Amino acid sequence: MDTIVVKNLKKEYKIAQKEKGLAGAVKNLFVRKYEILRAVDDISFTIPKGEITAFIGPNGAGKSTTVKMMSGILVPTSGDILINGRNPQKDRVHVVQDLGVVFGQRTQLNWDLRLGESFEMMRHIYKIPKAMYEENLKVMDDILGIEEIINIPVRQLSLGQRMRGDLVAAMLHSPSVLFLDEPTIGLDVEGKYAIRKFIKEINRVKGTTIILTTHDLGDIEELCKRLIIINKGKIVEDGPLEELVNRIAPNRNLVVEYYDENYVEHEQAKIINVEGNIVTYQFSKKEITGAGLICDISDRAKIKDATIKEVKIDDIIRIAYRG
Amino acid sequence: MERIKHYIDVSLYHVKLAVLTMLEYPANFVGWLLSNPIQFILGFATIKFVVARFGTINGWDYGHLAFLYGIAVISHAFSMIFFVQGWFMGEYVVGGDFDRYMLRPLSVLFQFFFTQFNIVGFTDLIPGVCVFAYGCHKVHFHWSIGNVMAVLLLITGATLIRGGIYIIMGTFSFWTKSRNDFAGFTQEFFDKTTMYPLSMYPRMMQIILTYIIPIGWISYYPAKDLLSGTGMGAVISLVIGVVTMTLAALFFKVGLRSYESAGQ
Repeated sequence: MDTIVVKNLKKEYKIAQKEKGLAGAVKNLFVRKYEILRAVDDISFTIPKGEITAFIGPNGAGKSTTVKMMSGILVPTSGDILINGRNPQKDRVHVVQDLGVVFGQRTQLNWDLRLGESFEMMRHIYKIPKAMYEENLKVMDDILGIEEIINIPVRQLSLGQRMRGDLVAAMLHSPSVLFLDEPTIGLDVEGKYAIRKFIKEINRVKGTTIILTTHDLGDIEELCKRLIIINKGKIVEDGPLEELVNRIAPNRNLVVEYYDENYVEHEQAKIINVEGNIVTYQFSKKEITGAGLICDISDRAKIKDATIKEVKIDDIIRIAYRG
Repeated sequence: MERIKHYIDVSLYHVKLAVLTMLEYPANFVGWLLSNPIQFILGFATIKFVVARFGTINGWDYGHLAFLYGIAVISHAFSMIFFVQGWFMGEYVVGGDFDRYMLRPLSVLFQFFFTQFNIVGFTDLIPGVCVFAYGCHKVHFHWSIGNVMAVLLLITGATLIRGGIYIIMGTFSFWTKSRNDFAGFTQEFFDKTTMYPLSMYPRMMQIILTYIIPIGWISYYPAKDLLSGTGMGAVISLVIGVVTMTLAALFFKVGLRSYESAGQ
């Protein structure tokens, strides 16, 4: 059974149109014009158990709105959502008992008190058995080193430490589904590394189904097998990252450095640049592998060095956003 | 039953958190401890001044007025301890702060009120109890078991009426999407209508405050009944309190469906 099923999901907002100036403001009191904004426009997808999926898309694309509907915060205009077979609007309490949610821009920790107090609070709210609580805390301490910050008031934690705290708080009740809304936003390299490691480990150890929204392409490359790209409320791409890259950018470049200026040609590769003894070939991954091409060339001439230039993932994403 | 136990457990834990938070910022609490009682003692001094001048207000002498004033302030104090959040519901709606409550396996309204106790509210209790005790002494209030019960019912009912009205007013924010800060206005209105005999107001206003907005049942009617030796008003207060709170909770539930969080 799929852990998450979303079918024909739509969310519309009424946006009041305001006219400018004082005259406009008075007019607005009597005549209200609304424009319907379709933030999420007929989205469908399913996510099997234990998968890590990234939701990406430009700002205002509808990612967060979708996550908020899936977690029971917003009521959809139409469409169906099932999380573990239950509807998050009709059955909110049951759904959230088995759901962890972290918003990168917002904390659920108690600002005034030591971090540990927030964890205890979760224990009471989710009725977590003592043994399970201790066990989870220990597992997560091994990954995130939470013990060293557990006695610091939340307001004095750095952003990276606070994020670690938020992740732990969201996982203490061992939810089978975890939603992460921009979990690495604003974090430094160390912070991002810790968060990604945590996500990978939790997914491996507990088989948690994870959806994350992000603008950080490093998150996607390191974590996600599957990518859902949303733009203007619609899904424009859905599939494995590799497949997307191969489809949007099927060609790769191979840069070969020769000992002198005598270079060779190859029937499955096009020479796109020659600079002294450095030659750039372009080839299609469908026709020949990078290794095959290097092999062929080195058979025909002596070469000093060869590098395959991967396409930059941001370029791929940019092309995908354009639709 | 299991559910009630869970809710009580969560509430008690948050009482502990509220105490811990207070200890984290002791100066803040001391500030309130000084300013809040002064505010109500001064209010009561004004009444003394009026009574000294005119003898009675609408037939209520000094002791009766202290009795009424005490009930008003005590129920205000409890409504501040448990339901003060209602004043700021607009902030929560506009700021998207209900998200967190909706992500937890408990009633949203329950969390809104009972996961953030306002210990500062206890500072209002001090002048309330002092003036009430003084009033009881003046009118020779008899502390029989029946009367003790009546006072408890009445305070519970009055607190529920106040809380219910805060919730109803705050819930409009789900549609207006505005911060709707009605704290100052409500406090002023409740003070004027619960601390003095309702009978001194125009007839129309008395009708509204008895049958439409049940503010009269917070202090005036039950106090009047108690002073004339019957606890009937207190029982009615409790019933009206439970009804008001139930309606408020249902109204809130409807409002929450229009909640839009913040951002996209």
